[in-house]
Order: sequence, then C-alpha cells, then structure tokens
Amino acid sequence: MTATQTALDRVTRVPGVRGALVVAAADGLVVAEQLMDGVDGQAAAALTGSLVGRLARTAESAGLRPPAFVHLRGDSGSVLAAPGPDDLVLVAVVGPDANLGLARLEMIEAAGRLA
Amino acid sequence: MTDDIRALTARMADEPGSLAFLELAEALRRRGQLDAAYKVARGGVSRYPGLADAHDLMARVLSDQGDLAGAFDAWSSALQLDPMRTSALKGIAFLYFRAGDRDAALTHLERALEVDPDDPAIAKAISRLAAAPLPTPPPPVESAPPELPPASAAATAPPGARRRHGLFEELDGGEQGLLLVDGNGLRLGGRLAGEDGDAAGDRVAAQLAGVSREAARASRLLGLGSWHSIAVESPDAHLVLAQPTPDTVLLASRDPSLPMGRVTLLAERAARAARAWLEAEG
Amino acid sequence: MRALEPWVVQPLETFLAESAARLTLLMTSSGQVVAQHGFSRSLDVMTAAALGAGIVASTDELARLMGGARFEALVHHGQRQSCMLAVFGTPRGRWIGLVVFGPETSVGIVRLFFDQMVQQLAAAAPREQPAAPMLAENFETELDASLKALFGR
Repeated sequence: MTATQTALDRVTRVPGVRGALVVAAADGLVVAEQLMDGVDGQAAAALTGSLVGRLARTAESAGLRPPAFVHLRGDSGSVLAAPGPDDLVLVAVVGPDANLGLARLEMIEAAGRLA
Repeated sequence: MTDDIRALTARMADEPGSLAFLELAEALRRRGQLDAAYKVARGGVSRYPGLADAHDLMARVLSDQGDLAGAFDAWSSALQLDPMRTSALKGIAFLYFRAGDRDAALTHLERALEVDPDDPAIAKAISRLAAAPLPTPPPPVESAPPELPPASAAATAPPGARRRHGLFEELDGGEQGLLLVDGNGLRLGGRLAGEDGDAAGDRVAAQLAGVSREAARASRLLGLGSWHSIAVESPDAHLVLAQPTPDTVLLASRDPSLPMGRVTLLAERAARAARAWLEAEG
Repeated sequence: MRALEPWVVQPLETFLAESAARLTLLMTSSGQVVAQHGFSRSLDVMTAAALGAGIVASTDELARLMGGARFEALVHHGQRQSCMLAVFGTPRGRWIGLVVFGPETSVGIVRLFFDQMVQQLAAAAPREQPAAPMLAENFETELDASLKALFGR
C-alpha cells in the first residue's frame, strides 16, 4: 500500500470524515481520492488547492512560514487541509459532528509522509 | 533545597531552554525564595517572550515581592497573549482591590467569570468583594511604582500601537494582532505585531479580501453553506479569520503557544466588537 | 467579452469571473468563433481559432489511431501562462473552448468552472433552428459582421 493510500485510509477512518483526497495544490488536481457519495473530488481539489495557495501568500505577506494546517468551517461541515511535501496537500471534507481533533492529528502525521 | 527544586534545577542545567523554568520558579516562589524565583522567571520570559505562562509566572513573583506596577504590566502582557487567561484577570483584579479600586477589580473578576463560569473561586471572590470593606491603599512612597491605570486601560494596546477610532479598545490586548479589512482589501482597523505592524497589516489586508471570496466560494460549492471561520496553523503563528459582516473580514493572529481554540474565541469576540463598531460608524 | 449569441453571455461571464482566465475563445469545431474574451485584435482571434481547431483535429486523429475515445481536453503548461483546449457538446453541435490562464489561477479551477459553463450553455441554448443555406457571397459578409460583433464595433 502506498503512502498516499495509507494516508487516505487513516483519515477516512476518523468519525465524520466524508472523504479525503490528495491534491497537487498548484494545479488543483486530484492525485488520489477516497470519497463518499455526494463529495465532488474535482471541486474539492481545485477549490482547496486555490484556498491553501492564497493562505500561503497571506502568511508570507505577514512574514510567516507557510501553513501547516488549515480548517475552513462552514454552516454544515468543514474542509481540512494539511500541506505535505512536493506541493501535495492532504484534504478532508468532514461533517459538522466530525472528530476534528483526531482528524487534524491524523492528517498532520499522514501529510508528512506523502510522497 | 527540596528534592523537586533540586531535580528541576538539574533539568534546567541540562537544558537551559527547557520549560521547566515555569515549575522551578513557581516552586521557589512558594518556598518564599523570591529573589531566586525572580531570576528564573526573568530568564524564562526573555527566552519565551510570547509565552503567556511565563508572564503570568513573572507577575505572581513580582506581586509577592511587592512590585505591584511590575506585576500589573506582566499580567497585562499575559492577557495580550492570552485574552482568556483567568489567572491574569484575577491577578489584576487583586491589584485593583489592593489599590482601592473596587469597580475595576469587579470588572476584571466579572470578565474572568465570563471566560470560566465553572470556577467557584471567581464567583466567591465577586460576592466577597461586593461585601468587603476596601483595604487602605498603601501610603505613597518616593520609590513606589506609578499608580495603576484605570480599568479600561488593562485592555490598552502596548506602546507604539495606533488606536483607530476605538475599534478593539474593549478587548484585552487592544488592536494588536487583530485586523479588520473591507471587501476591497483595505484595512479598517487593527495592526499586526512588530515594528512595522501597520505596513504588514496593509500587506496582509490586501490578501484577505481574496481569501474571503475564495472561502465563500469553496464553502458554497462544496455544500458547506456559508463560511464561518478559517483557522490557519503556521509554525510562527496561529491565525483565525472570521466574517463580522458579509463585506468585511477579520484576522486574529497570536503566538503558536496559544491553543487554537482560544484564538478562535478571541476572533469571535473581536468580530462582535467589529460588528458593533461598523454599525455605530454607519 | 463579446459573443455572437446572447445566450452564451451569462455562462461565459460566470466562467471568466470564477476562473480568472486571461483569454478565452469559444468556437465551433470548424473554427467559427462564437465568443471571445481578452483578445485585442481580430487577426489574433482568427489565428487562434484556426490553430485551436487544427490542434483538436490532430489530436482527434491521434486518438483514433490509438484506438481510444476522443480526448476531452488538452493542457499545455508554460512558464508564465498555460493553455487549455477542451471539446464539448452543445445543442448546436460540437464546440471547442480555448482558455489561456496564468499562475493567479490553476488548471483545476479552470477545468472546474469550464465544466460548469458547459452545463450552463447546454441549459441556456435555444431550440435548434434550421440553418439558412450558406452562399459564397454571404460568407464574407457574415464573417465581417461576426468580427465586428466580437470586437464591439
């Protein structure tokens, strides 16, 4: 099992996670995905890649190092993103009752091992 | 020397950068070894200026030493870093009580109660304060520290920060590390920490309008509804973005030693303050 | 942004706003331009349309030789800007989209909103009308009129 698949497995096992994907951030394209029905992987990859890129530029303008974790919270769920090496980002789409703390820990650890 | 102090001293000798200074200085303070506690706390604060625990510890040592103005400054620093720190709110309340300002003391205790409504000691302190006679303030001494500033100044921004029309003045820490930005990327108020806080704030403000649009789009198209907040963990800071109104975005930035949950609470409070200010400004 | 057909305007405007594309051309598979954005000269529009249609025709042939289905999209990545050519069906036949974009956006964003535009075009297209026979003497007049419309003159 590749590091990518392992990462997706770990994250999707967290309660409340509707899907996870690995994204090539600069292109906003899916590298690998594990999604439940109703989660649009193409949209998640493109939109999250774009948002993470913009947040990285914001951090840079503030003299900060790039984000290690991002949590976008909406009315009915969240998107979590953990940048990894080589412009890869591990992304999870989660429901409002997801175990965010566990998802965050799993994602940060898994993102560091992406290759 | 007790065993715990011996062990902590040995640990500090092995790892001078260790956070063990917090326990060591506290143990020395409890034993009444205030000079030693002060030296350890001072070293810790200079090594970890962004750590609220360090300033809180320094304040307790200074308070025990009778340096009330120094203690006030240290607790104020702790509050700037961690606006929800009840120990600092209680400490400042105690100082105001000692100085004979019951109203200011009550204001700070009530704020502490808002943050931690389950702490019985705070509620007890409030009811006792309301009933107790005020202590006689100590007589002025030539070398005495300056008088304590009025209550609202506990939330005053540090020297050098520009206040913009009272936008965040009610918040602990004032406008430092907070930015309010309009839909065109222009700064409405607040500034970032650092000497060029205004310039950095303007640069960041220019990016934030785009971030808000991206977040709204992502949240909508991924079926999450409207966006509420974005929490960003950088090795150098914890950032939280919120949307006080549909046309504005607020950024709260704090040292990464402050838990993200607390930064989120701060951002929510700042967003409420921003909404009220925007309504008042018309 | 200019379009020959009014029902193209709204979907294309939405695509341009969301994708941040620098140049966009919508054309029929024979290279007849339907809408454009970002071009400043009619010659560039005609050249780009002809080249785009030619590239699509070549890759169609390549796909046929490989025994596979037609390619839906091609992306050429450049250092300072990139170009996407995508083929899609409409009630008016097969069309081609040529999109040039820079690093301020991404191919993922461009594709995401291009696909949405295609769905919106399919929904917005009026019912098929019988095409008038094309006479040689009408062709130049039609082309001239199209170019004038695309450049707002």
